[in-house]
Amino acid sequence: MTQILAHVLRRGAATAAIVLVPLAVHAQSNLSSQGFGFPTGQLSSRAYGTGGSIAEIDPLSPVNPASLSLIPTRTLFFQIEPEFRNVSGQNGSDHTTTARYPVIFGAIPVGSNLIFSLGSSTLLDRTSSTSFKTTQALSATESVEMNTKYAIDGAMSDVRFGAAWTPSRWLRVGVGAHGITGHNLVTITQSFDDSLRFSTFTASRVLGFGGTALSGGIQLVSKSFVLAGSGRYGGPLNLHSEDTVLTSARVPNRFGASLAYVGIANSTIAIRTSRDNWSSLGTLGTSQLHPVDAWDTSVGADMAGPRLGDRLMFLRGGFRVRTLPFQAAGQNVSEKSITGGLGTAFAANRVIADLAVIRASRSANLSASEHAWTFSIGIAVRP
Amino acid sequence: MHKRVLTLLGFALGAVTIAACSEKLDAGASCPLLCPQQAISLRDTTIDAIIVDTTIVGIPSIGNEGYLMLSSHGDTIDTRAIVRFDTLPQTYQKSLVDSTIVHIDTAMLVTPIAHIDSLKRPKVPITIEAYNVDTLAASDTVAAVLGSLFRPDRFLGSKTFAPESLKDTLQIPISTDSVLTRVLSGAPLRVGFRLVSSQGYDIRIGTGAVSRAVTLRIRASTDTAATPVNVTPLSRTPLDKPFISGPLADYTIVLKGQTPNPATLLAVGGIPSRRSFFRFDLPSRIVDSTTIVRASLLLTQVPNRRVDAKDTIYLYPSAILASPVVTDVATALGFLSPPGSFGLDSVAFFPGDTGVKSIEIVGLVRTWKAQPTTVSPRTLGLLSAVEGQVPAEVNFFSTRAPVGLRPRLRITYAPQTNYGLP
Repeated sequence: MTQILAHVLRRGAATAAIVLVPLAVHAQSNLSSQGFGFPTGQLSSRAYGTGGSIAEIDPLSPVNPASLSLIPTRTLFFQIEPEFRNVSGQNGSDHTTTARYPVIFGAIPVGSNLIFSLGSSTLLDRTSSTSFKTTQALSATESVEMNTKYAIDGAMSDVRFGAAWTPSRWLRVGVGAHGITGHNLVTITQSFDDSLRFSTFTASRVLGFGGTALSGGIQLVSKSFVLAGSGRYGGPLNLHSEDTVLTSARVPNRFGASLAYVGIANSTIAIRTSRDNWSSLGTLGTSQLHPVDAWDTSVGADMAGPRLGDRLMFLRGGFRVRTLPFQAAGQNVSEKSITGGLGTAFAANRVIADLAVIRASRSANLSASEHAWTFSIGIAVRP
Repeated sequence: MHKRVLTLLGFALGAVTIAACSEKLDAGASCPLLCPQQAISLRDTTIDAIIVDTTIVGIPSIGNEGYLMLSSHGDTIDTRAIVRFDTLPQTYQKSLVDSTIVHIDTAMLVTPIAHIDSLKRPKVPITIEAYNVDTLAASDTVAAVLGSLFRPDRFLGSKTFAPESLKDTLQIPISTDSVLTRVLSGAPLRVGFRLVSSQGYDIRIGTGAVSRAVTLRIRASTDTAATPVNVTPLSRTPLDKPFISGPLADYTIVLKGQTPNPATLLAVGGIPSRRSFFRFDLPSRIVDSTTIVRASLLLTQVPNRRVDAKDTIYLYPSAILASPVVTDVATALGFLSPPGSFGLDSVAFFPGDTGVKSIEIVGLVRTWKAQPTTVSPRTLGLLSAVEGQVPAEVNFFSTRAPVGLRPRLRITYAPQTNYGLP
C-alpha cells in the first residue's frame, strides 16, 4: 500500500499543494541498503523522535497491536521520511536523497474498549540506483567498456490488520494478522562507450513478495510505569517473478519489550529493545545474501514542553543502536542514531503533527562509512 | 507570537519536504566494495547464419534513379542520360497576354547537377553534348537503339565547362530551329546527353524523381516583356501506362560498362545498379532467449578497381519490409526500409579495398526477437547510397565462395540471468 501511495504521489508531484511528494530514491552503493533493503523500523514520527524507545506503547507505530487501544477515535495517519545520506569510501563520496512513505494506516474504535486498524508499513526499502563501469572481454583480442546501472524500485511491505482490546485499566492486549507484500522492480541497463557497434541493453523484471505473519502484544499499565511487549511470528514468504516462485523463506520473527516511566504528566521516558530474526530471509536471495539476526535498542523521552497558546508542545529526544539486517561485504553493519523531535496538535486536537530529526551513523569493518540526516514527518487526522 | 513560530515551523517542514523532491538517483563511488551486483557478462559468437544471399541487377529500375548518371571512361564505361519533353507549349506570355510561338530566340537546357566535391572536380574541361533521340521505334528505351541516335545529324548543341565552373546548374544551349520545328509540329523533344572528356569522369544530373529535373527554357521573343517558357520533363509513352511512363521522363542508359555478376560474389552499386539480399537463420536460443547487444554482418570484400576504386561509397543495410509471401527476391528488394531506420547506419567503403568488413545490424536483429519468420522475416538488403548514379561497385564474397571467405554473422549477447535477487 505504501508503494501504491508512493506511485500516486509521484504522479501528482507537479500539482500537490504542499508538495508531499518526494521521490523514493536511495543508493544501493551504501551500507544500509544491502540485501533486500533498509529496515525503516516501522516507527511513527513520534516514536522516531524518541529513538524508537516508545514504539511498544505508541499507537501510531505498527509494532505492538496492543497500543492501538490508546487511539481514542477514528484516526488516519500518514508519514513521510526524506533522508539525506552521505556514503564515503575509498573512491569518493556519494550524496543521495531518499524519501520514504514508511507508515500509513487508519483505525476505528468499535465500542468502548475494542479498536480495529488496517495499515501498511515498509519492512525493507530497496529502492536504489547504482552505476558502475566495467570492461568486458569479448575475445582474446577484443574488449568493450561497459556502463552498468542497476535501478531498483520498491519495497517489502507489511500490511497489518490489527485489533486491540482493553479488558481492564491495567491491561491492554492486541493481535495482528500480517500480509507481507510489495515488489522490487529491477531494471538493469548496460550501455557501451562504443555506441556505434553496441546497442544499449535494458531489461526489467518485477520481483514480488508474498507472505504472512501473526503478531500479538500486551501492555501492563500502572500509575507510573508501562511494561509492554510484542512479538511477530513469521509465516512462509515467497519471492516470485510473474507466476513463478523463485525462492522461499520465512517472514522474520520479532520480539520486543519496553519499560516506560509515565509518572510525569503528559510525558514518557522509555527504554526498549527488540530482536529481529532476519536470518530467516537467507533463502530468499542468492547465496551471496547474508542476513543476520539483529538487536535494536533505544532509550528516549517524550516530554511535555512549553505551551504555545492553548497548544501543548512535546519535546523528544533519544538514542538508538541497532544492527542492520544484511551484511555488507561480509561484515555486519551497525547503526547509531541520535534523535530529536517535536509534536503538537491543531484544530481542536483533530490534527496531530510530529516531526523527528535523526542523525544516523552507519559503519562496518570496512573502508566505507555512512552518515544520514532523516526528517520524519507524521500527520494524524481524526475526522 | 506562537502563530509566528508555528508558521515558521510549517515553512521549515515544507522546505525539507520540497528539498527531498530533488531526487538524486545515481551512486556508485563505493563500488565494487558495497555493490554486490555484477555486470551481466556478454557472450560473443560468430556463426554461419546466412542461408541465402544473392545479388539482383537492375535496381532501381530504369527511370527511378536518384540522379542520372552521365559517365565517360573511354572504352570502360559510357552512360547517357535521356530527358523527354513529350509536350511542348505553343504559346508564351507577353505582358500577361498569350501569344503563339512563331520564333525562338534562345532554347536552353537548364541542367541541375549534384554537388561536386572540390577533390573530385575534373582535371580537364568537360563537354556536354545534346542530341535529339526522339524515335518512332517501339523500343524507345533500349540502349542500343537510343545509342545509335547520338549522331551528327541529330546534334542539338553542346557546351564545354571548365572544371571550376561546375557549380549546381549547367546551362546548355540547343538548336532553336530544332526546337521551333517541334513546337510548331506538336512533336515531342527527347534529348540525349553525352559527356565528352579526355579523362574519365562522371557527372550526376538531377531527376524529377528525387531532386530538380532538367528543364527546357524557351525564350520566344527578344522583348523583355515576354516571359520565358520553362518546360519540365514529361513522358507520354508507353501510352496508357502512367506508372511506367511517369518515371521515363528522365532516365539513364548504359552503352558500355555492364559488369557480370558471378555467383561467388555479391555486388552493390555498379552498372547497372544492383542490390544484395541476405536471409538469416539464427538459433532461437540466441535471438529469442537473450538480448543481443551487437550484430555484425561480416563480409569479405573483394577489390574492384575497375573505376573510382578510391572513392568513398556509402552502403546502407536496410530492412526488407515485404511480407514473406513475396518470394521474388527482386520484388522484395524493392521494399526496403528508409535509410537510417531500425538503427541501421551507413558504412563507408572504398571499392578497391579488401579484407573483412563489418556492417552493424543489431537494430534490425533485435526486432526479430520472439517474432515468427512469417511476421518478421530474417532478411536484409544492402544497397549503395548512390546506386544508379555513379559507376562504383563494391564486391563481397558470397556463400558460394570458399569457406573462410563467406559472409558470417557475429553476435554479442547478454544471456538470460537470474538478476535482481540480492
